[in-house]
Amino acid sequence: MLVLDDVAVRFGGTDALDGIGATVSAGESVALIGPNGAGKSTLLRAILGLVPLARGSIEVLGRPPQEARRSVAYVPQAESLDPEFPVSVAQVVLMGRYRSIGWIRRPGRADRDAAAAALHRVGLSDRADDRFGTLSGGQRQRVLIARAVAQASRLLLLDEPFNGVDAVTQKLLLEVLGELRADGAAVVISTHDLTVAHLACSEACLLNRHQIAYGPVADTLSPPLLQQAYGARALVLAGDEAVVVTPS
Amino acid sequence: MIDQLLVEPFRSPYMQRALIEAVLLGVFGGVLGVYVVLRRLAFISEALTHTVFPGIAVAFLLDASLYLGAFAAGALSAVLLTVLTLNRRVNDDAALAVLLTTFFSVGVVVVSRSTSFTADLTALLFGRILAISTGDIIQTAITMLVVLVVLALMHKELILRAFAPESARAMGYRTDVMDLALNLLITLFVVAAVKAVGTVLVIALVITPAATAQLLGRSIRSMMAISVVVGVLSGWIGLVLSYRASVDHDLRLASGATIVLIMTVLFVVAFAARKLLDLRRTRVGAG
Repeated sequence: MLVLDDVAVRFGGTDALDGIGATVSAGESVALIGPNGAGKSTLLRAILGLVPLARGSIEVLGRPPQEARRSVAYVPQAESLDPEFPVSVAQVVLMGRYRSIGWIRRPGRADRDAAAAALHRVGLSDRADDRFGTLSGGQRQRVLIARAVAQASRLLLLDEPFNGVDAVTQKLLLEVLGELRADGAAVVISTHDLTVAHLACSEACLLNRHQIAYGPVADTLSPPLLQQAYGARALVLAGDEAVVVTPS
Repeated sequence: MIDQLLVEPFRSPYMQRALIEAVLLGVFGGVLGVYVVLRRLAFISEALTHTVFPGIAVAFLLDASLYLGAFAAGALSAVLLTVLTLNRRVNDDAALAVLLTTFFSVGVVVVSRSTSFTADLTALLFGRILAISTGDIIQTAITMLVVLVVLALMHKELILRAFAPESARAMGYRTDVMDLALNLLITLFVVAAVKAVGTVLVIALVITPAATAQLLGRSIRSMMAISVVVGVLSGWIGLVLSYRASVDHDLRLASGATIVLIMTVLFVVAFAARKLLDLRRTRVGAG
């Protein structure tokens, strides 16, 4: 579903990413783990075909990234969106349908039904007519997940979806992501939360500008490898059993 | 009272034409402005109005169609602006300032070659809404229809792009092309409005009503309604005010500038209203 082969991205002569390789199949979920500035967002942008590759190749659903965008749902961080923007919750979810609706045409009944169902799935049906910005941070993140659900994509890319969300939202997001995977979707989540990676993902890609490890979560997020990614900020506790990453 | 505000000022044909033009521009700018303000393009569109100036000046001197000249210069600057603002290496503000002043200087140099320099320059800079002809009104109406139809067709994509640019790109939309399209639509408005209000003030008709609506509107639909009402109301009050000042007090108030000032007054009122509403809500929330 997603194949990364020796991917490198360069910005202005310096390596932003190097040596990234991964194969993600249907139903799998990959956590992109690394410190701030490790290149997690850049990797997501590369999968979307929004940054040119210096080396290597990316294949999304068997096609180059630019051609696959319609079948990929990207979930930005809720806080990156202007809370004053005058759109309702229902309108935001409906935006997930715009590509399938196409230019010029207006959303039809099927689109509205799909959006309503997606909103129901994240438990926010009663807020449909409220302005997006009046919701809490966690609720906004749920709306953006609903938008991705409405898009009915086979590959979901989520940028730090668990940042600053409440426990209810975290539980709900994990459930929805689990359902989507059960339906055959592949999920890529950038996060710096190791717990979330364990809970939400089957695989992990540990990176800090270059790929340090890729594989099953339990193997990849081991203390020695985490120390390699985070350096002195990874504190190994209880002998070799647990790792705490201190905030930068 | 009603006679003095509604009927008497508009007895003469030139005032009737001015009113029709002001109403058209109020609707036109009111709707377009919502997209411009939501897309945060206010400064760029301001620059655009100045860069259109040399095209108008050349067309004016050659006695060619102002539309053609303005649109040529506007299209060129819309392309340049879009390209410049997409290039991260160029400092946006600096690039805009250079482009704006360069184009504007070209315009002034061109006009300075005319024998009736001052009068021509004043007309181009500040417009003459009282000298609008029926032909001008028809041109404005047709331009407005074209722009409003294009906006309606692109509505959902323009809103998506304004709200979530990264998502729009991720979904495969060419946001640069959409920006260029919006800049070209702004150029069309400038061309349609320049005879009435001039290049300096024209952008107020796009930005101020929409900015006012943003303070009060809770949805895009309500924003558009408020924006249009502010635009039309300002046009009418501005014309009446400058007429009454001239007839009753022998005071000459430039009509275009008066219209813009009325818009500013409405903006300030909306701003105060918003502050009061917010204050009240906080108090209710606290109590």
